[in-house]
Amino acid sequence: MSEVDMAVIKPEMMKSYIWLQTADGSIQQVEQEVAMFCPMICHEVIQKGMGSSKNYAISLPQRVNPAMLSLILDYCRFHQVPGRSNKERKSFDEKFIRMDTKRLCELTSAADSLQLKPLVDLTSRALARIIEGKSPEEIREIFHLPDDLTEEEKLEPLKNTTDDPRIRLLNRLYAKKRKELKERQKLKNIEVEEERVDDRSVDDLLSFINGDNGDSKGIKNSKSKKKNRRRKDQQKNTSANEAIKNHNKEPNGLNQVCHSAEVGQKVRAGVGATSNLHDVEDDIFDNKNELDDGDIDDEIDPALKEKIDREVEDFARRLNSDWPERMQEILSFGHERKPVHFSLNGNGSLRRYANSEQR
Amino acid sequence: MSIVIKQREPSRLPSKADAEFDRISNLPGHVIDQILSRLPIRDAVRSSVLSRKWRYKWATIPCLVFDNHCFNFSSQDQSFIKNKLVNIIDHVLLLHNGPIHKFKLSHRDLLGVTDIDRWILCISRSSIKEVVLEIWKGQRYKPPSCLFNCQNLIHLELFNCLLKPPLMFKGFKNLKSLDLQHITITQDVFEKLISSCPSLERLTLMNFTGVTHLIIDAPNLQFFDIGGIFEDVSFLNTVHLSLVSIGLYVNIDNEENGAQDNASKLLRFFVNLPHIRRLEIQSYFLKYLAMGYVPSRLPNLCVDLNHLSIRIDFDDLEENTAALCLLRSCPNLQELEMLARPEEQSSMERSTNFWEDDHWSSLFAHLRLVKVSGISGVKSEMDFIKFLLSNSPVLEQLTVKPASQEGEWELMKELLRFRRASIYAEVIYLDP
Repeated sequence: MSEVDMAVIKPEMMKSYIWLQTADGSIQQVEQEVAMFCPMICHEVIQKGMGSSKNYAISLPQRVNPAMLSLILDYCRFHQVPGRSNKERKSFDEKFIRMDTKRLCELTSAADSLQLKPLVDLTSRALARIIEGKSPEEIREIFHLPDDLTEEEKLEPLKNTTDDPRIRLLNRLYAKKRKELKERQKLKNIEVEEERVDDRSVDDLLSFINGDNGDSKGIKNSKSKKKNRRRKDQQKNTSANEAIKNHNKEPNGLNQVCHSAEVGQKVRAGVGATSNLHDVEDDIFDNKNELDDGDIDDEIDPALKEKIDREVEDFARRLNSDWPERMQEILSFGHERKPVHFSLNGNGSLRRYANSEQR
Repeated sequence: MSIVIKQREPSRLPSKADAEFDRISNLPGHVIDQILSRLPIRDAVRSSVLSRKWRYKWATIPCLVFDNHCFNFSSQDQSFIKNKLVNIIDHVLLLHNGPIHKFKLSHRDLLGVTDIDRWILCISRSSIKEVVLEIWKGQRYKPPSCLFNCQNLIHLELFNCLLKPPLMFKGFKNLKSLDLQHITITQDVFEKLISSCPSLERLTLMNFTGVTHLIIDAPNLQFFDIGGIFEDVSFLNTVHLSLVSIGLYVNIDNEENGAQDNASKLLRFFVNLPHIRRLEIQSYFLKYLAMGYVPSRLPNLCVDLNHLSIRIDFDDLEENTAALCLLRSCPNLQELEMLARPEEQSSMERSTNFWEDDHWSSLFAHLRLVKVSGISGVKSEMDFIKFLLSNSPVLEQLTVKPASQEGEWELMKELLRFRRASIYAEVIYLDP
């Protein structure tokens, strides 16, 4: 006969109960075999003789509120019966664990304070299943975590606890790379306004490179390690310069043409252009500075460095190949108001589609 | 100096939106460790971007598993993947803070020997308890001697390795489970390794080179699973061994060995297995056991044996004799599995009437489940099934699975005719 059957046959007062008190003061009595399934309660009863009456109720840890206690006791009541098969237990566990995340966390905490390891295992597994595969935003949403890290810290999750300046520089490199990737994204889906950003950025690069060479040299001099950086900068400068070289004569002319080409958008062009100009210039200026800083430590990630180099060259190449066509188009279209769309073709270079050609 | 680093996003103080209480971040450290340990390493480390409190929670997880599931690289460039992988493992090990209890490395791509050496050195310094090393590509990897200094090791699993411990190696005092597959190890090293791990409870050995005589001296051994090519196996001092699975992957020629050695392999095998519960005789191991003298019954019955699985050639007289000896020696057998070995040459001439004879003075008193697979309907096989059915009064299920569809109908027709001693017996025919 199972224990449950015996309990029914025996008169009620023969059954032994344990008295438990939760942090809010409420006291309840629980069947002995159920309560003793929790190691913490077991310990209190055996070692300290507590729990035998209302006055000597066992005080449960604060993390165990009445709702959680009830859940835990349900769990104990099922599992303390010896005759159950593994399949039955597993099936019970699966159903038992279905609750909202908030309660799951509370239950984990309560089970841990009662040292009920099997239940802690079960809830940990459930929580891990919830976390697995989700993005940080989703996880924050589910668990109500504050989003209190700076973007930079997020970029470099493997930050060194000792705040190594090398790691800080690596952070900056990553931040810079992220921006570059963002810019590439912009280039991929270009509408009219962004087309103009392109122009601006070319202009800016041009003026920045021509004008800023002095500044960057100044910055260079202030750092101790000059050699590597200079080499790298020159490399980058040359590639960018190559791209811009052919069109050195055109910038101002182009601006004017752009303004006249798009009827009805002159005003916006004027205003937008200026603000764009500043933004992009800032970006590139920052890029340049961060590049300087990042270059100090070549050993950090050569593979990453190569990748960034490649990206810069790629960008430059694309600009280079595109300029003659765009120039022609813009000059020839004149007053037409056709929006011009750019998209990437197979080998990654930009190609223009006029409206009619677009699929 | 660092001039231009401005915060792109201002940090958000907990606002009204976060009024819902964050209940997970303040769970005790060991509970968070448990949760994070159950995530793939990538998700666990990424938890560092969740919030300020979570920044270094991952760094104390006791369990580091680097396998194919933890990284998803779309690149096909082998060296790129390798560099990235090495980078990641280096970073994780460097920034990890606290004891590492479990380390698993099982990546399909080729990894450099010096890299793996370095990682093993790192974990050997942190009271490691479980090491799983699966080297999928490249030659046999030789673990550095620091691995053999890990005195807290409880479980060691190596795949495609060469074991050569340093001379001063005194064994793993706490090792309970050893799993060696596709390894190279010399005879002495193997014997010394087994005998110097007094706590060893489980031993798995598959496809090994360099050991020909398996001498197992392990007083606490309970589980033994080997498959490979060897000449001899003997158990010394293994009273607790309860599960044995042995596969001999090479066909031994009885005529060659029979002359020199008449000692009974069967007797020697069982002399130190008094409490064996499950026995699996795979590949050609039954041939090995049939060498030498085969008694009609073992002197000490295997009273605890309740599951027996034998790979047998039903037309081979010696093997049948050995099988019969075994069947007679386990009075409490509950589950039996007979797998017919597909022989290359058709053995029509050698077909025996072995199972036709009435061998029985006692019945299979407890036999409930029987499975017979890989048969093709030859006389010897059908005789055996008939013999089985008429001698198992409590049989519940007999499952028959032929090797191919050839002769299916004949087989089934014969099966239908056999008398059954048990009124509860179900005869289940499975498709090949």
